[in-house]
Amino acid sequence: MMVRLALVLGAMTLYAEPLVTGFERFHASTPTAEGGRLLYNELGCVNCHGGETGLPALRGPALATVTQRVRSEWLRKFIANPASVHPGTVMPQVLAKADDKTLVAIEHYLASLKPKTAAKGPAKILHVNGARGGELFNTLGCVACHAPGKDFVPPEGLPKSSEFTHRSVGFGDLKAKYSLESLGTFILDPLKVRTDGRMPKTVMDRQDAIDIAGYLLEFQGSDGRLDNPIDGVVADKALAIAGRKAVISARCAACHDLPKDAAAAPVALKKTEGGCLDADHAKGPRYALSEAQCAALKLFLAKKDETASPKLAADLTLQALNCVACHERDGQGGPDTARKPYFQGDHNLGDTGRYPPPLTGVGGKLRPEWLSKVLLGENRVRPYLKTKMPQYGAATAELGKLLGVADARVALKFEGGDDTAGRKLMGTQGGAGCITCHRWGDRPSLGIQGPDLSNIAARLQEGWLREYLINPAAYRAGTLMPSFWPAGKSFNPAILGGDTDKQIASIFKFVESANGEPEGFPQNRNGEFEIIPKDRPVVQRAFTDGVGVRAILVGFPTGVHLAYDGDKGGPGLAWKGRFFDAYLTWYSRFPTFEKPIGTQVVAWPKPVGHFLGYRLDAKGNPTFLNEQRGVKVEETYEGIEHGLRRTVTWVPTPDFAPTITHPAGMAVDMKESSAQGRRVFTYLWK
Amino acid sequence: MKTLFAVFFAAASLSAASYDIADILTASTVLDTRSKDWKPGDGLALEVSGMDWTADGKLALTIRKGEVWILDGVLDPKPDKVSYKLFASGLHEPLGILRDGKDLLVTQRTETTRLRDTDGDGIADEYLTAGAGWNVSGAYHGYAYGPKRDGLGQLWVTLNVDMGDHADNKAPWRGWGGILGQDGKFVPMVAGMRSPCGLGTNLAGDMFCVDQQGTWIPTTPIYHLRKGAFFLNPEGIASENLPESPLKLSAKIPEKRPYPEALKALPEMRPPAVWMPYNKVGRSGTDLATCDAGGKFGPFDGQMFVAEFTDAKISRVFLEKVEGEYQGACFPFVGGFASGIVRLSFAPDGSLMVGMTSRGWSSLGTKAYGLQRLRYNGTVPFAIKEMKAKPDGFELTFTKPVDVARAGDIASYRMTNYTLFYSSAYGSDEIQSAPNGIVSAKVAADGLSVRLKVDGLRELYIHELHADGIRSVSGESLDHADAYYTLNRLPKN
Repeated sequence: MMVRLALVLGAMTLYAEPLVTGFERFHASTPTAEGGRLLYNELGCVNCHGGETGLPALRGPALATVTQRVRSEWLRKFIANPASVHPGTVMPQVLAKADDKTLVAIEHYLASLKPKTAAKGPAKILHVNGARGGELFNTLGCVACHAPGKDFVPPEGLPKSSEFTHRSVGFGDLKAKYSLESLGTFILDPLKVRTDGRMPKTVMDRQDAIDIAGYLLEFQGSDGRLDNPIDGVVADKALAIAGRKAVISARCAACHDLPKDAAAAPVALKKTEGGCLDADHAKGPRYALSEAQCAALKLFLAKKDETASPKLAADLTLQALNCVACHERDGQGGPDTARKPYFQGDHNLGDTGRYPPPLTGVGGKLRPEWLSKVLLGENRVRPYLKTKMPQYGAATAELGKLLGVADARVALKFEGGDDTAGRKLMGTQGGAGCITCHRWGDRPSLGIQGPDLSNIAARLQEGWLREYLINPAAYRAGTLMPSFWPAGKSFNPAILGGDTDKQIASIFKFVESANGEPEGFPQNRNGEFEIIPKDRPVVQRAFTDGVGVRAILVGFPTGVHLAYDGDKGGPGLAWKGRFFDAYLTWYSRFPTFEKPIGTQVVAWPKPVGHFLGYRLDAKGNPTFLNEQRGVKVEETYEGIEHGLRRTVTWVPTPDFAPTITHPAGMAVDMKESSAQGRRVFTYLWK
Repeated sequence: MKTLFAVFFAAASLSAASYDIADILTASTVLDTRSKDWKPGDGLALEVSGMDWTADGKLALTIRKGEVWILDGVLDPKPDKVSYKLFASGLHEPLGILRDGKDLLVTQRTETTRLRDTDGDGIADEYLTAGAGWNVSGAYHGYAYGPKRDGLGQLWVTLNVDMGDHADNKAPWRGWGGILGQDGKFVPMVAGMRSPCGLGTNLAGDMFCVDQQGTWIPTTPIYHLRKGAFFLNPEGIASENLPESPLKLSAKIPEKRPYPEALKALPEMRPPAVWMPYNKVGRSGTDLATCDAGGKFGPFDGQMFVAEFTDAKISRVFLEKVEGEYQGACFPFVGGFASGIVRLSFAPDGSLMVGMTSRGWSSLGTKAYGLQRLRYNGTVPFAIKEMKAKPDGFELTFTKPVDVARAGDIASYRMTNYTLFYSSAYGSDEIQSAPNGIVSAKVAADGLSVRLKVDGLRELYIHELHADGIRSVSGESLDHADAYYTLNRLPKN
């Protein structure tokens, strides 16, 4: 057994039975008919024995291209005993007694299915970066189902083995199976091979897929041309005919799409004991089912002909596709403790900024058209989540409709609504200030970047919206979203008489009308906070590029300016023209470093003393108080035309002269600097 | 001197009938920094970030833009002729102010600064570094709070952990609190805080601090600050390796487990004196102020009032010392303020000044900023005044005599207890909830207290009481029938 222990965490126990994650996680502890229904579909039982599970069809991978995709030796081993090279696979052993000759024949038959038209070979892989692939693999959402890599440490540290509450979908020995190119091609679009969506497609660039393949294959070096390619098989006609016979007798076509001449007839189900449920039965496929799996299947078979309710069909579909690996629904599922650290995002949004949203009642939350787009991987509204919602192809074609029925709520249609009031309610001028935290189309919010609100009329059902606004925490515990209508009582009685229903209807109406943006939307205020010293010098501390976090900016009415270093005590920068724009320091929630906005910036060498503070004289000119080698040194700055006057004073002591430096690029006049303990410098821009 | 005329009104919304809210200055479109047209210099955006009182009873306050204003007339019966005088400017987001003799001390991002008016013109002319020594990376979340003076005269400063661009929590003292030494150097005392925004003492002079729900902080806690304590958030713990550190953790951070288990696994960890359950008693605590008004603020002398940002309301906290550790109960108090509350300060006349700014965060208070005053109108509220732990239950005291039949009926009470999950996540659900049985309720002869015998008490769990059945002798319902007791230790007697 070739389990890649280096990669796999928390998978030290070796299991024999096929892994259906949804079953193991939600049904294994107490077997039920519902769990059995899931297995009956997900182990492919339904594909031979028929029936209506209500779940999307499980299909085997496309076989027409398999000999080009996987290595010959691996393929033969897999066909002979799938679980021996791919532990946990749901592919049963159907050719236990096949000899090598038969296996080779099957391989030739599969090779003969290759499309005749010679597809253009894949573009050469020039470069591969496994480390980057590891980063992607461990953050895009792959590890929601698969085991995270030990070599990638999430910000909160590696989980403990004991925190893995269920098995990860294993890989077997990937090196024996794939080349870099074939694994990369598979990762780029798994739906081409696995049409049933059980391995969904995460939209990414080819290079991303190659890098992830490089990571999983532990590819050495970065030169993709060193890939060990798959030779492929040239079909021998006679062997292919023999192979086809074996394929027919093994009934492969029940699960795999094969030509009509290899079709498999249905197998009537006569009893609910023995057969596939018996690990040692002589005929037919062998599943190494666990006791819990057998028990659940038996419970289901007893009422196999019952139709699943829409709610059950929806819930089981979400389990079959493992949507619940990322999303919680009705208090179940969502990332388990071990996997949570791999869900990263915008930490200013708390848990909602890193975990995908709950699916509880989602069919009654999203409008059907919107939900169907989401299921196609479109209409992303949470760009801050590092994990990406993948696509499931045909498997989710009916899911939107099904969820709509399963989660249907009493329809609510807002009546009336005043879009002018709605605009005010969403704005910051006496409204709820939604745009303080929420984006509006392309426009960032003022503070944290919560989901876009400009699309909610197309996105959300009215009844859900009303309930949510009244009590957001009921939908998602720990949400940062406050209620502005706590217990149904409006925060602002002055708008529409404080009528909660009218207010919420008005918000909806305003968004629907697409008539402008919420009132008082924060404009891009950058550039509007320019400080213009008029009569007196202006002093303002701010984080400042080139000086540091303790900068003290001084703007003089003569149009010359200084950034003083309030750490070591000494001049940092000087410039001419405009002073600076205090947008970040005075307005933004996320202030960073300010910059001079004038011209002809000059810089002093880093000072060497110790800053003690400053004084302002009657005219507002600053005198900075410093200490150098235990001696107090003061320096006053005044703005003059085209320059600065700097007066440095100290109590003269033997063996002490202050360190005084000058900026490059300015003329320095030291004529007045004769007195003891006093130096005066006039700096002029050249 | 510039005089701004302010509107005066009494807001009854969500507040008890015993307290009135009066506006001093709240944002209006003209003065609002959030308005499209507002520009620096257009008006005073009173984004209050610190408050204290001058020797002659004027209100000194800092605003986030970096100014100190002296307000006169805020305590007038009708505060409509308040004068505003700019005392200092150019500071870097000051978040606290304290009078020190004739001077004012303010803590800016990078230092505590002594502001002196040496020529007596009412405007500061000296800005002297009075405290420094913590790292400032330039990350937006690297706030500094204080100073506040404890009973020993020590000046306390607390520091946020960094977040966002430039964040560096490995650098000195982020998430720590400490005192300013004689030379002004920051002397670290406690570690493990996230956004320790609100400092304040109780009447005994012990220093407390309210932190905010967030990463590693399951819900708003109130810490008792004392040397060597580690509280909750380990993001800045790297500084424990510096020679000045008063503590060194002896075990790994016991994350991802119920808080009581985590506490047992880390000896240096100290439990908050009070947990304020999320949503039930606010969401983001920002400040605390202890009432010493001699009855002028109602029957709550010695209790703490805690400001809350998101819901724009104030809660009340009763503390007691059990086996050497502070613990106690919190109660809902008054809501309906204009903006996210950031600062509270009891005025010399026993009213409570409420300083607010919502900049960048959202609050049920819809104004961008404001200053309001909460005043007791003399009508005694009917409230659970105190909730004390007993070896076998709790003792409740009331502000007015209770209806003995109802208060003696165990059906008038419901209690559950729960704890929180300690992890790096943002906040926590309530976990391990279990009901407590009320075994008996014995009313004191004066009708002012009830002794509850309670089953299933658990140390380190929050005990949530609903006393919906209680009535006063005149039939009033309680202003707030819910109380939340953090039972760190069960008293021995």
